[in-house]
Amino acid sequence: MRTLASLVADTFQEARARWLFWGLVALSTLLILIFLFVLQIDLAAGAITFLGIEATTRRIFSIQKFVNVSYSWVAIALYVWGTFLAVFASSGLIPSVLEAGRIALLLSKPLSRTSLLLGRYMGNLLIVSLNHIYLVLSVWIILGLKTHIWAPRFLLAIPVSIFLFAVLLCVVVLVGVVSESAALSVMAPVGLSLISVLLAQHELVVRLLGSEWSRQLWMFFYWILPKVFDLGTAMRQAILFDRHVVWLAPVWTSAAFGAIVLAGALHIFQKRDF
Amino acid sequence: MTGDFAIETYGLEKIYRSRWSGREIRAVSSLSLRVPAGVKYGLLGANGAGKTTFVKMLLTAVHPTNGEAKLFGRDVREPEARRPVGYLPENHRFPTYLTGYGMLDFYGALSGVDGRERKRRIPEFLELVGLKDWADVRIRKYSKGMLQRLGLAQALLHRPKLLLLDEPTDGVDPVGRREIRRVLDGLKEKGVTVFINSHLLKEVESFCEYVAILRSGQLAVEGKISNLLTGRGYRVTASDVPAPALAEIRQSGASILPAAEGITIQVTTREQANIVIDKIRAAGSEIESVAASTSSLEDLFMKTAHPDKAA
Repeated sequence: MRTLASLVADTFQEARARWLFWGLVALSTLLILIFLFVLQIDLAAGAITFLGIEATTRRIFSIQKFVNVSYSWVAIALYVWGTFLAVFASSGLIPSVLEAGRIALLLSKPLSRTSLLLGRYMGNLLIVSLNHIYLVLSVWIILGLKTHIWAPRFLLAIPVSIFLFAVLLCVVVLVGVVSESAALSVMAPVGLSLISVLLAQHELVVRLLGSEWSRQLWMFFYWILPKVFDLGTAMRQAILFDRHVVWLAPVWTSAAFGAIVLAGALHIFQKRDF
Repeated sequence: MTGDFAIETYGLEKIYRSRWSGREIRAVSSLSLRVPAGVKYGLLGANGAGKTTFVKMLLTAVHPTNGEAKLFGRDVREPEARRPVGYLPENHRFPTYLTGYGMLDFYGALSGVDGRERKRRIPEFLELVGLKDWADVRIRKYSKGMLQRLGLAQALLHRPKLLLLDEPTDGVDPVGRREIRRVLDGLKEKGVTVFINSHLLKEVESFCEYVAILRSGQLAVEGKISNLLTGRGYRVTASDVPAPALAEIRQSGASILPAAEGITIQVTTREQANIVIDKIRAAGSEIESVAASTSSLEDLFMKTAHPDKAA
């Protein structure tokens, strides 16, 4: 446990020293400042003017709805922004530890290779989680202070974004272990996310595909890859409508994908010579 | 009594296979070595002889293709087997974002030294290697010699029983070398086994008690330096000596080297030479020559690692 804590702390130190941590915080702060600036516009008055809402008893309901829509879109923006930013920031942290002369010394210590890689993984996850919490919580407080509408479900963006990042980080780790390339470690999860968005349009695409095997192939890939789009949609609906949303399938299939990819990365890491 | 040996390897072998062509490169070949605990042991060999691969196999950074390795009687694949080991790799890359203190703190923690003990030991070891004033400076500012000394402090911080040094003075100026040598000399009384992997023959000759020379991944010669480098000794050259007789000769304390005519057996006394001759004759083998000898480690190295270039 002490070893794992040291590895997590080292990842944190490296992220700080490489300005990745501060870069993430700075970009998040920039986004928060943009929010503050945008919200100088009187939201309620703006909504009334923009939507033509009349000053009737329906007004409160409409503003509430407007704020909910805003919250949901802001959550989606943070989900996409935060995740991709985090993937970019984390891409070099696995290849850097595999550099010849550094890995040999780490492996000479009385720790398993699994602990070494998991320590790095958890360190990355901690850095990004702190940033997500800072970003979403700040935006939530700003929106709440401005609108006086406090929607705790907006905070769903924190666990959902962290969960998605945890899944994509498994891909970063696998590609990092196999290729030792920071560039590939970014390309793979970003590419996978874009493919996942395409695959999520299965209801439409399956109707358009001519053959049964191509439909099955599409659905096969849809089910095995992480559900970036579905998770975002579920989160948006949960925030927008404040109702029960089906999380189970996108969560467990994405978690299973992440677990298998991470297990693969650990297996390859165990077998490699350095 | 496997615990009497700091390092034991049996038939250790590493074959690298090219992924596409399937071509094989035998980096280390059937290497059996036993390093007694508490000695200073030098591993020599030309570049590419397999020295670093051998050390990396001891530390599981490289997986052997065949054979097994033990550290103080424990299989190296168990992480706990590496707890009593301090290691300074060749061409190390310490995290440059850390300070000297931070680097020792990190690797000390990984070696199992608790926080309170690290706080106590780190200043002590920084002083030992002459870097006390550099504790809070990021190591990207350190010179090569300073990095080596810091690496040495890192390898010693958890008070290891076995110190594995891969080219410890490579690229270090004479002052830095002297500093490293001073630290290593201080370990003699503490019973630490020091295993130095180097191509600096003078250093090995002056510091080590035992030496092994690798040639093309194979153990070409092994023994006590005092036996191998006899100022006054005897060299018996023989051919077609069967393996059991060779084992007996080796057990008697003689060192065996490959030679053009067969093998050369090096002994220190006339009595030993007579015993060796008796054993060779008893085995029905031919004695090619018997001669008084004087040699240096350089002579031995050239004859063993580069027989074609030896005078």
